[in-house]
Amino acid sequence: MEMFEYDFMQRAFIAGIIIAVLASVSGTFIVLRRYSMMSETLAHSALVGVAVGLVAGYNPLWMAVIVAVLSAWLIEYLRSSFTLYSDAVLAIMLSGTLAIAVIIVSLGGAFNNSLFSYLFGSILSVSQEDIVTISLFGSISLGLLLTYSKELYFIAYDEEVAKTSGLKVRFLNYLLVSVSAIIIALSIRVVGSLLIGALMVIPTVSALQYRVGFVKTMIVSLLIALFSVACGMVFSYLFSLPSGATIVLCVLVLFIFSLVINKE
Amino acid sequence: MSVDSKSPIFDVKNLSFSTREQDILIDISFKIFHGEYVAIIGPNGGGKTTLIRMLLGLNKPTSGEINIFSKKINKFQEWYKIGYVPQRASLVDTTFPATVQDIVNMGRIAKRKLFSSATKEDKDAVEDAMKKMDIYDLKDKMVGTLSGGQRQRVMIARALASKPEVLILDEPNTGVDINSQRNFYTLLGKLNKQEGITIIFITHDVGVIADDIGRLFTINQKAIICNDPKKMMSCDDMSKLYGVHAHLLHNHKHEH
Repeated sequence: MEMFEYDFMQRAFIAGIIIAVLASVSGTFIVLRRYSMMSETLAHSALVGVAVGLVAGYNPLWMAVIVAVLSAWLIEYLRSSFTLYSDAVLAIMLSGTLAIAVIIVSLGGAFNNSLFSYLFGSILSVSQEDIVTISLFGSISLGLLLTYSKELYFIAYDEEVAKTSGLKVRFLNYLLVSVSAIIIALSIRVVGSLLIGALMVIPTVSALQYRVGFVKTMIVSLLIALFSVACGMVFSYLFSLPSGATIVLCVLVLFIFSLVINKE
Repeated sequence: MSVDSKSPIFDVKNLSFSTREQDILIDISFKIFHGEYVAIIGPNGGGKTTLIRMLLGLNKPTSGEINIFSKKINKFQEWYKIGYVPQRASLVDTTFPATVQDIVNMGRIAKRKLFSSATKEDKDAVEDAMKKMDIYDLKDKMVGTLSGGQRQRVMIARALASKPEVLILDEPNTGVDINSQRNFYTLLGKLNKQEGITIIFITHDVGVIADDIGRLFTINQKAIICNDPKKMMSCDDMSKLYGVHAHLLHNHKHEH
């Protein structure tokens, strides 16, 4: 495998594998909680952070994390406090934040390849510093998700019953959306904000087709994400294709495969 | 079951609940004691579900007071003492990735400390709850593949796994066949008499269980509490509150 002789390919693989783990584990909770659309919205909100970072000269990744977390809190607040059409709120925020990001970048004169790489992912330009940031925040996020996995699973199953059994549902909901926002913001460098939603949602939806218990569903989802990221990167290298889109196509193929073999 | 003299589990005083448009419940007061078996009936939209949602802390009363185990509801922490089986118990999302055991395990989560895994006590409680509900053989089955009656037993097993002192059930028979309903009533009676679990449940089938229940609450904005359900069946007040259903229930009783 000559592709691993290059440093940038090694970094790309490490970053890809970390993102696959983070996206699929958090994705299991996101999908079961019926927050799939929220992951898309947060990915677009994160772009506002990237835009501010690019124009103002701050680290775009950090700014993306901050803006994504603030957006996640706003969405959760609106969802839990008002009887709004929650999918409509997500759609409004999705297009609204993307518009804000584009305006900021274009006013700042930075509408260039940098933003493009955050939209579609640019795994080959992942730096050593990016890997450190992704690993550090990724492991904190993953640790929090696994620590509260049983509670989050219960809430996904039935929020009201979880509340009546004494769980701190409000706190746990905010925790889930915050951790997901961090993971999404970290991932957009690798797979891009247009594609991260797919990497979070499709592996879990594919795993659900096998109709197995919770832990097994999470493991199957993880394996699908890892396999897709690995295959996607190899194909992307071999055929000079954009990495994010190739990864998502690989997940889609596995999704269709899972649908077909589990058809009753 | 006679009302004992110990402090009540639920002590509800002058409870009212209204939305912007209308009053749902007006000035309701009652006490429920250990070991009681209380059925709540009333017309749809009469406020039954709102009442139990307030007892569970899911809705805040507009005015009035709720004490649970002698504590004000906002200070009450030991929610695992109260098991709740919602209306949609048997209508779960069939694609949710959960085995029977996954669901029953949920009953222990609130009791567990952070970072600690399931103890022997947790495992025993889950096993015991599954055996009581006669679903132990189904423990590795996916919940989505079970019948309505089996799912209903899974939900009650989940509630029982926390070793509750009270079970609150909201029309748990929605979507369940007649045979399963009969077994279900027998089982509730057993939990009340043999295990001493206090039972509060909303039902439309009060005629079927009149022999088991201790008290009957009729809720239609206001509450009429009847200490002898058999008398309640022919009581005029009930007709006023419950409308035509009172006669239906009366007939229903004679059929069985």
